[in-house]
Amino acid sequence: MPDHNGPFFEDIDLGDEIGPIELVATDDNVANFCALWGNPMPNRFTSQEIAEKSGLPGPIVPGVMSMAIMSQALTDWAGPEALKDLDLVFRQPVPHNKPLLVSATITDTREEDGENLIECDVLMMGEAGERYVGGTAIIALPSNSE
Amino acid sequence: MYIDLHSHSVSSDDSRATVEQYVKWVQVLRDKRGCTIDGFVLTEHRKFDFDKDYSQLAAEYNVLIMKASELDTRCGHVLVYGVNEGLAKDIDLGDVKMDARELIKAARHHGAIAVPAHPGRFGIGLVEYMEQGETFPGLDIVERINGGSRAGENERADTLCRDHSYLGTGGSDAHLASHLGTCMTSFPTDIKNERQLVDALLAGDFTPVWLKDIQQNN
Repeated sequence: MPDHNGPFFEDIDLGDEIGPIELVATDDNVANFCALWGNPMPNRFTSQEIAEKSGLPGPIVPGVMSMAIMSQALTDWAGPEALKDLDLVFRQPVPHNKPLLVSATITDTREEDGENLIECDVLMMGEAGERYVGGTAIIALPSNSE
Repeated sequence: MYIDLHSHSVSSDDSRATVEQYVKWVQVLRDKRGCTIDGFVLTEHRKFDFDKDYSQLAAEYNVLIMKASELDTRCGHVLVYGVNEGLAKDIDLGDVKMDARELIKAARHHGAIAVPAHPGRFGIGLVEYMEQGETFPGLDIVERINGGSRAGENERADTLCRDHSYLGTGGSDAHLASHLGTCMTSFPTDIKNERQLVDALLAGDFTPVWLKDIQQNN
C-alpha cells in the first residue's frame, strides 16, 4: 500500500475521533452545488422567498450536499475509496453561511469478508450544539501488513 | 449508580444505534475513558418493546439495560418509566396528540411515572406550554439536563425546576452509540430493574449529572 497516506486499520481504536472539521456552506457554494446537481434555480436552497413559502426560515443546504460534505470529511481522512456505507438522519435544516462542525467517532472495528472495517458515528453540528445531521458510516481501511 | 435515563436504539425510527453498539460504547467509556456508567434506559419513541429481552446482553457486558418509552403529547415529549401492560391498555402509546395530564395521571395509576423530556426545548418543550398558561397537576419531576439540547434549552429547564420546585433527571437522548452517557442521573440506591427505578424516582433522591463533570471527579 505504498500510496496510502491515511490511517491503517491497526492504528484505530474504539473511541478515536475524526475532526471536528469546521466549514461554512456559503450561498455561492450552495448555488454552485445546485447548478452541478441540475436542480433548477431559484429553489428553496437558494431563494429566501421560496424557502419561506416552504415554511423554512431561510434557504437551506440541500440534504444531498450535507451528505457530500460528510462523505468528503471521511474520505479526506481515510482515502477516496474507503467509504462503504453512510446512513444519515436529517434532524434539522442546515443553514447557509454559518459554521458547520463535522466529526466522527469510531464505535466498532471488525474484519469481514477479507476487509478491515471500522464503524463510526458521524455528525454535523452547529456552533450552539444543534445536531443537524447524524448517522453512521462504515469505512474500509488497509492493514499495515498488506 | 449512574444511569442514562434517555436513549434510543434502532427500535426508534430516528436512531442509528443498536443496543449491542451501546453496550460496547459503555465499555469504551469505562475502559478507555475511566468513566463510571452503570446502565441506561431505552426510551423508544411512541412505543414500548414488550417483546425485547436484553438480559443476556446486559449480563455479558455487566451493564444494566432497562426499557421505557418516550411518548408524544400535545404538550411535548414525555418519558415514561415503569410502562406495563395495564398502562399500554389504557393509553395508546402511539397517539401523538394525547393529553400530557392524562398520561401523568394514568402512569401513576399503573405504578409508572411520567417525566417530561427536554422541557426547555424551543418550540416544543413543556416550558412553552406553561408559558401559555397550561398547568400539570401531579407533575414532580422533569428532565433537567438533556444531551441533545441546544444552547439555552437546559438553562430553561433549570429555571423551570427552580420556579416550580421540580426534581430533575439527566439523560443523553442518544440516537448514536457515542452519545450514550453524556448526561446521566445519579442515584444513591442500588437499582436492578424498572420497578426499582420507578421507586427511586418516587423517593426523589437523585441528581442529574454531566459525564464530563463526574469524569473530573473520579
